[in-house]
This record gives sequence, structure tokens and C-alpha cells, in this order.
Amino acid sequence: MTAISCHDLSKSYGHYQVLHGIRLTVKKGECFALFGPNGAGKTTLLKILATLQRPSEGRYEILGLDGLKERESIRANLVFLAHGAHLYDDLNAKENLQFALALRGQTPTPRDIKLALDRVAIGAFAEMKVRHFSAGMKKRLALAKAILAKPKILLLDEPFTALDAAGTEIMRAYIRERLAEESAVLMSTHDHDKARPVISRAGMLRQGTLREISIETLKADDLF
Amino acid sequence: MTFFNVIRWIVWKDLITELRSRETISSMAFFALIVILIFSFSFSMDQQAAQEVIAGIIWVAFAFTGIIGLGKSFSTELQNDCLEALQLVPQSKGAIYLGKVVANFSFIFVVEILLFPMFVIFFNLDVVEEISLLLLIFFLATVGLSAVGTLFSALTVQIRAREVMLPILLLPLVVPVMIAAVEATKGALNGDPLTMYSQWLELLAVFDVIFTVVSFWMFEFVMEN
Repeated sequence: MTAISCHDLSKSYGHYQVLHGIRLTVKKGECFALFGPNGAGKTTLLKILATLQRPSEGRYEILGLDGLKERESIRANLVFLAHGAHLYDDLNAKENLQFALALRGQTPTPRDIKLALDRVAIGAFAEMKVRHFSAGMKKRLALAKAILAKPKILLLDEPFTALDAAGTEIMRAYIRERLAEESAVLMSTHDHDKARPVISRAGMLRQGTLREISIETLKADDLF
Repeated sequence: MTFFNVIRWIVWKDLITELRSRETISSMAFFALIVILIFSFSFSMDQQAAQEVIAGIIWVAFAFTGIIGLGKSFSTELQNDCLEALQLVPQSKGAIYLGKVVANFSFIFVVEILLFPMFVIFFNLDVVEEISLLLLIFFLATVGLSAVGTLFSALTVQIRAREVMLPILLLPLVVPVMIAAVEATKGALNGDPLTMYSQWLELLAVFDVIFTVVSFWMFEFVMEN
């Protein structure tokens, strides 16, 4: 069953057209990877699908919900792991999780939070302010938020950036778990070696136009 | 229920981050202290003139101090793109607005309460009998300032010159609140009977309701666009 479908999505900033007639379908239980050079429009496409921006033209549906009209229902089913990690520096790891989940209407127990932090291997830093976290630790904490949220749609913007080998494996394990739960995953990445074990399909976004590519013959040289 | 939970959590987050960083309240208090000192030295030779303009001085200090706090309300959400996380909340954005209003009101009101004794000392004010009325005036005017200021803080947060744009956009809108606050404060400080200035209190209450309802309604649009 289709989880994400884009119908001729376009996005312009003034005279500069970032996305041009994007057609994309991602089914439940499928992980689609967006490759492309910097400025190709990968993050813009993810932000539109996350309901953070509106397309200039076209329409899209998430879980059958209209992306332009049923935004709150979409947001309840979606997690967007963005570059910024969406974390407050003056809250500690535990508080950040409690706050983020509470705004989604979820109330994780202290045990849930401990398990999520342990799973991303930052359980020892539960009481530490995020101000003192490294980029990789922030990424892991953002992943812990996603683990607790259990979304049906997972949008990942450069999910492997700043993660070490262990962190990369934790991220891949989580993606596999979501896919097994019939969630749909859409990620943008430059790191095809790290992404390849979990992706089902892939596309190349270049100059705002999306072209599906075969993952069987995926090589770094072909991508950039 | 979730609507009120979102309000509660936004207030909790803003208060706890402020308690830890003390960035907003300390900068507000420092600015207000400088204003009080400058005005007190300006009028040190002429107590009569000071008594006539003290209500205006109080509200100049409170309004500009409030704007400093309001400016920080949403600029702190820019760290780690937290503003995006607020946009992604699957609830009415009105809950976020009300949470922010409560937090902003708390910061401004606390600073007002801390600073008012300085006015009493520097300008030799006799406020013992009117203190509860003065607190009511401060409360009502601060609600109005916070209600409209929170909306404009969100509106200007993505603008490059937000520190300049916030007072330019906000001050003309809160002029009615400031006029009513100054007139009511003047009446209370002069020891006039309440009936002589109660219309200003009523006006403040009316503005509070209008500003809160309109801003609540417009906040959704601001956050979605």
C-alpha cells in the first residue's frame, strides 16, 4: 500500500526553481533513498513532505492524507530527523525526550526513556545538558526521539552524518525495525555505502528533477 | 486534554531553560535598571517634575524591557532548528501560542515586580495604600503586551533584522495599552479615587481580551507560513 505519493511537485524560491515536477511513490515497508549533489533539492523535498514547506505546484499524499489540507493528521504519523536535531541545549537528554514526546501527545514512562537512550548508547548521559553533546550524540538523541515516537512515516535528512560506525549500525537497525513494522522511510544521503544495506529503492535528484536508479548497480561514481 | 498539556509543557520548557541560562531575565533587568538610573539622575533636582512623569517613566522602562524578553522568546527556538519542531507539533498552534504568552508574561511580570521597588526608592514614591491596585494595573498591561508581543515575536523571528523590526511593529500596536496603563498608574500613584481612573482598567481588560483572541487566531497562520 502506498505511504507517500507526490504528483508533479514543484518548488520555486523567486525565480529559482528547486524542484521540478517530482513524481514519487513510496510504499509501506519500503525505504527510498534520495541521492544528489548539494543544492539538488533533497532537503526541500523532505521539508515539503514533512509539511514544513508548501509546494509551489503539485500535490502530495501521506498515508492517503492530503499534504496541503490534512497537515496535523500527517504530523501525528510522521517523524522528520533533520540536520538541526530539534533539541534544546539547556535541557538534558531525558528532558528533551519528555518534551518532544509530550508535544506529540505521547507520555513515555521513565523506563521507556531509559531503554531508548540505552539503545542509542547514550544512557550514561541522560542527565547531561545537550549543550555539552557532540554532533554525533545529538544525532543519537534525535534517533531516540524517533524510537519512542514509532512513526508510520520516517523522513531522514542525511541520517548517517556525524555518526560513527556503531552509531551508523544503530541507525540502520532502527530503519530495519521501522520497515518491519510497515513504516515507510524516505532519506536523503550522500553516503551510499552506509545507506545501501537498508534501502529498497533509490532516486537521483539533479537540478530539481528526480530519476529512479537501480540499487543493484549503485556505485559512488555514478551518483555525483 | 492534549491542548492544555502542550501549553503546560511549553511553559515548563521556557521557564526551566530560563532558570538555567538566566539570559532573558538578566538582560531585561539590566536594561531596566539603566533606564531607572538615567531617569532618576535626570529628575534628581526636580522632584515635582518627576512626580508628574513617573507613570510614563515606569511604562517606558517596562515596555522596552518587555520587548527585550519578547524578542528572545522565539529567537531561542532557532537553536538546533527547534522552531521546525514546534511547527511539526500535531496540535493546534494556539496551544503553543498560549504557552509562550504565559511564559513571556511570567518573565516580564517578575522583572516588573523586582524593579518597581527601585522606582519607589529612587523617586520617593508612597505606594503602600495603592500597591494592590498598582499590581492589578501591571498585571493587566503586561497581559496585553505579552499577548500581542508573542505573536510579533513569532512573526519576526525569521527576519534578519528582527531586533529592529519587533519594536517597530509592536510599539504602535500596544500604544492603547500603554496609554491606559500610564493613565491608570498615574491615578493610583496620585491617590485618586478608583472611580476616577477605573475606565482605564476596564480598557486594559478589553484590550487584553481582544489582543489575546486575535493573536491566538493569527498565530496558526504565522506558524504555518
